[in-house]
Amino acid sequence: MSRVGDGTALTAVGLGKRYRRRRGHVLRDCSFRLPTGRICALVGPNGAGKSTLLQLAAGLIRPTEGTLTVLGTSPAAARERFAYVAQGKPLPLQLTVAATLRLGAELNRARWDQPAAERIAYGHPTEQGARDGALEPTARIRSLSGGQRTRVALALAFGKRPELMLLDEPMADLDPLARRELLGALLGEAAEHGTTIVMSSHVVAELEGVCDHLLLMGGGRIRLGGDPEELLAAHTLVTGPARDLTGHTVVESRDTGRQLTALIRPGGPPSDDWQTAAPTLEELLLAHLRNPKAPDLFTEDTEAGEEKSGSEAEGTKEAEETGKPGETGEDQENEENARA
Amino acid sequence: MSAFAVRGTAETPGVPPGGPVKGLPWAVLRLHRAALLVWGAFLLAALGMLVWEVEITADSVRDRMAACERTGGGLCRLQNLTDYSSTIGWASTLVYYSFFAVAAFAAGALIGRELENGTAQLAWTQSVSPTRWLAVTLAVPAVLLTVGGTVFVFVFRWAWAANRDLMGDDWTFNDVFAARGPALVAYGFCGLGVGALAGVVLRRSLPALGVACGVMYLVNHNLEKYREDLWPAVTPAPTKGVEMSQDVWQIGDGTGRFHPRSHYWPMHLVETGIVLGVAVLATGAAFWVLRRRTA
Repeated sequence: MSRVGDGTALTAVGLGKRYRRRRGHVLRDCSFRLPTGRICALVGPNGAGKSTLLQLAAGLIRPTEGTLTVLGTSPAAARERFAYVAQGKPLPLQLTVAATLRLGAELNRARWDQPAAERIAYGHPTEQGARDGALEPTARIRSLSGGQRTRVALALAFGKRPELMLLDEPMADLDPLARRELLGALLGEAAEHGTTIVMSSHVVAELEGVCDHLLLMGGGRIRLGGDPEELLAAHTLVTGPARDLTGHTVVESRDTGRQLTALIRPGGPPSDDWQTAAPTLEELLLAHLRNPKAPDLFTEDTEAGEEKSGSEAEGTKEAEETGKPGETGEDQENEENARA
Repeated sequence: MSAFAVRGTAETPGVPPGGPVKGLPWAVLRLHRAALLVWGAFLLAALGMLVWEVEITADSVRDRMAACERTGGGLCRLQNLTDYSSTIGWASTLVYYSFFAVAAFAAGALIGRELENGTAQLAWTQSVSPTRWLAVTLAVPAVLLTVGGTVFVFVFRWAWAANRDLMGDDWTFNDVFAARGPALVAYGFCGLGVGALAGVVLRRSLPALGVACGVMYLVNHNLEKYREDLWPAVTPAPTKGVEMSQDVWQIGDGTGRFHPRSHYWPMHLVETGIVLGVAVLATGAAFWVLRRRTA
């Protein structure tokens, strides 16, 4: 499936949202750009505004200020081309699994892929027969466990054959086996069709090694955005005798008497008497969340028309740039990945 | 990739099995199938009761009243008469006031519950815009109310007129006044519209249900109270005495003014217009609120 649009899945400019006039902003001055074809992790603490951002992108609510562009157009105009799975996995409780999939078919008559939906809902039967917890078409949604409901909700998303999937905490209720299956299905979808996937989570480790794009939310805005490898490469964990850190951007520093531990964005070569180490993704995110004053960092220019190659399915870094936006080279690359 | 990966089947999008009702209307009927069945059973029971009373019970009531004549029991006669009259009265009363059930259903189940537990939002992120969702969600029950209500009005008019000698009521009774014309359907629309507005504004089923029923009570109570003012009453000529026919609606303000029976349709249509006006305003407001809130 070829993608349309300008190679940008999501663009936010000065996005803000508050629910009640007297209460504060849930989102404020939130700006970022997500190229198409990425598997994007949207991470942040509870109440950071992840769900609000996804609801805005899904056109369920209106922003108080700023603009949000989805697949090159407004969320309302892109309605048929994206799928959204809400955090609570809402489904009509009175329906059976089969009737719920029929509902998806009836509401998406133009673009429904029943086999794709059934594969997610019922899974692949293995040689030993159906695996534990496999869904029966005649089972009522009411009788399903949280994880099983998640499968049905995701089946509706896959059946729509979207260009963009907005998934709010898709892993939260899933057992490890189902989680692996889902990740595999998402990666396969991304590789085969160039689908852009945005997954929110407050557990960073859950998405490490899967995503090739990271958006860290904190304080109602995007604090870090870009390729996780590049974000990590831009930071250094230094330990050494306490001294002046001028010249470097300090994200977080802890002074324990004579010893100093700091996460910095180096502005030059560090001093020789410092021990340096590469931070883990978790360390990086936590340091930013603990220090709201640390400046935001985007590894790619949010305004630039350039886009980077997508579909780094195994989390390996591919830094080749396809110069012109919307070029077909990206699709070819995805097909190569799919064949691999 | 993974064994779970979805193979390229996009070239043949799965077209769901055909049927007379497709797409969003199918979804509305399927989601509210239980309510549809209950409503259908209620309507059929009311219609069946009317037909049964007129076709079967009326004759036996006449026989029993004849027997009462022979034994000379006035009480026996009255009891038989009341049995017949009150059964038909119950049918019209229940169907007339079922707009409360319509308002409760629209606010609680149709709109409020769907918004509360997120299944409305689920439809909006399938390929259905919020405006279209609300339009179809209201249009499907509106069509059913029109068809069901119209059938009931005609059957009731026939049943009410069939054995006037056995009936103790007249055209000025609240339920009879409303159930003999389009006001019955208009009240159903009003319940639907007010329920939709309450559901969209409150987004929670129970508060929306309460508010919708409260508003419908106010609308209905005031219209019943001021029904006699819906059309100018006739002032009797001073030479003639006050007409004391069963067929007039005597206004109890001591002036002797009254509504002759010919005022039924003007009064009824004015009330229908007012109720439809409330329905249109409430529905319009529901769309306005929903559009303002969603993208």
